[in-house]
Amino acid sequence: MTESLNVSVDRRDGLAVIYTEGYINNQGGEEIAKVAYKLLDDGVKVLLLNLGGTKIVNSIGISILIEIIEKMIEIEGKLGFCCLTPTIEKTFQIMGLAQYAPIFRDEDSAVAQLRG
Amino acid sequence: MTEPAGPAAWTELLGLYRDEAGEVTLPDRLLGLWAREHGAAAAGLYLLKDGLLHQEAATGPGLPASLDEASLDSEPGPFRSLRFPDGRLVYAPRDGSEDYADAAADPLTVLLASLIRSCRLKRELKDQQFQINFRVVELENLYDVGLAIAATLDLDRLSEEILLRAVSLLDARRGALYILGEGESREYRLTRTFGGEAARSVDADDPDLFSFLAGTAESPGLLPGATYLLGLPIAVENEPKGLLVVGDKESRRGVGPFLASDRRTLALFANQAAIALENARLHREALERERLEREMHLAAEIQRQILPKGAPAVPGYQIVGWNRPARQVGGDYYDLLALPDGRVELVVGDVSGKGIPAALMVSTLHSALRLLLEEAGFGPSLLERLNRHILESSMANKFITLLMAELEPRSGVLRYLNAGHNPGFLVRPNGRVEELSSSGVPLGLLPNSRYQPRELVVEAGDIVCLYSDGITEATSIDEEEFGTERLIEILRKHQGFTLQEVLETLQGAVTRFAMGVPQYDDQTVVLLRRDLTP
Repeated sequence: MTESLNVSVDRRDGLAVIYTEGYINNQGGEEIAKVAYKLLDDGVKVLLLNLGGTKIVNSIGISILIEIIEKMIEIEGKLGFCCLTPTIEKTFQIMGLAQYAPIFRDEDSAVAQLRG
Repeated sequence: MTEPAGPAAWTELLGLYRDEAGEVTLPDRLLGLWAREHGAAAAGLYLLKDGLLHQEAATGPGLPASLDEASLDSEPGPFRSLRFPDGRLVYAPRDGSEDYADAAADPLTVLLASLIRSCRLKRELKDQQFQINFRVVELENLYDVGLAIAATLDLDRLSEEILLRAVSLLDARRGALYILGEGESREYRLTRTFGGEAARSVDADDPDLFSFLAGTAESPGLLPGATYLLGLPIAVENEPKGLLVVGDKESRRGVGPFLASDRRTLALFANQAAIALENARLHREALERERLEREMHLAAEIQRQILPKGAPAVPGYQIVGWNRPARQVGGDYYDLLALPDGRVELVVGDVSGKGIPAALMVSTLHSALRLLLEEAGFGPSLLERLNRHILESSMANKFITLLMAELEPRSGVLRYLNAGHNPGFLVRPNGRVEELSSSGVPLGLLPNSRYQPRELVVEAGDIVCLYSDGITEATSIDEEEFGTERLIEILRKHQGFTLQEVLETLQGAVTRFAMGVPQYDDQTVVLLRRDLTP
């Protein structure tokens, strides 16, 4: 099991995919937020969070993801999630994240939808 | 110092900054007005939460998203602030001016104070909604774990599932799941860990562990490096079976102790883990039972192969044999064998004990007896060598009683050796009974046992009966034994029947006698009758 979160980014022509691997908790959430805000500062307005490498999210991590979503709404950008485990997808649905950031099954369809 | 805005201007202002519902909006524009009125380079509204000031609205450059309240007060910096019950108005004075004494009384400041109260209420509402939603997530997780337990018996997967969900729902940074060792072990062994190292095992009787689980003492080193721990036993019917431990509850400011509500949530997961463990144990036991049954079935099949498939055809005689083990496999043995020279061997044996150990000794007896018979022939030396072999190859206190007879068909001479077995009978047509009594101790008891051969003559119409004590000691529901008298009586009264019919009558009589009482001992009978007419 991974103790800390690893984050990597793939920038693609105005869109960036953020890959996570590990626990999205306080530290993990802050790491994602740091990367996401840096991308926004660089002018990227469409973000996809690929959580394929994450099996576990806690409430602090969720609150940080909500802040990122709020920020995206504020700047009129787009944010989506893909490759979630069924547990995390259900959590995001209940916590209301899915209301403001669509959830996609795989990365290709997410990229196509967010670009469209 | 600037003059506070007058009432007329305020009426106009409030009209501008109220929405359709009458709520004051656009705090950043109000802040802009405040900054202009008071000559500040920047101003921001900050909501106070857990000692941190979080920016809700701002105007002007340089104000950070959050500020530490203590350091704002203690360290000289570019910012000053006005304190409200719910937060602060933070501003950057122009040209280092410190003269903001009247700003607190400014109606615009009061309006901003009410705005920060509104922000707090909105934030609290949002937090409460978040908590309610997270409570639903918690319930959904417990429900999902229940479904997973019902769907799989893979304890490894379930352990991981339970630990991960407990860690995430309690906002823990770390966790571990221990399971009590099998058998007599009093040691919890680490099964799953998350987020870092955990002690590999814990003494289940450690008093420090009891205190920790009761919440009255620190952890006895379960999660090295963790500051705050919460642990609960995983118990089935009050018997501890494992431990579920989480460490370091997270907040936005770091880690802290777990709450009382966390203990209740962890208890729910510990209960789920207990169900999973119990299911897995029952499943393991069922598999083990199934395996044992398969092995017993196989052993019974092997034993059936050992026992004679039929009786040898001997002109002028009828021979039958029958065995009914009390369990799948038994400790009774019989053999019927016609030698090439025409002699006939009849054997009935009874191994002490029951089940697999007895069946294994039956197997040893069968192979040794057959080999010795071929090598040494019937006689005392056969039994003496067999005795030594049994003594060397069996466990202490295990022995075999054996009655072995050899018939010379033409003369009717029946020689026999009885190693501690219950006497056989020879029943004459006139009803007279002669015993084939014991002539030595059972096999496997003493190294130098000696056996005396005896003989009698089987005349026309005589019945010879060799049997095991499972027949005569078969017990009725009134705890009465079938006994030798009933056995002899059946042999006496059925002289006109075929020997197979006599055997079936005997079987039926024993079965009816013991009706309703489980068969306790193996039952074996060998019958031989010399025909009335040659």
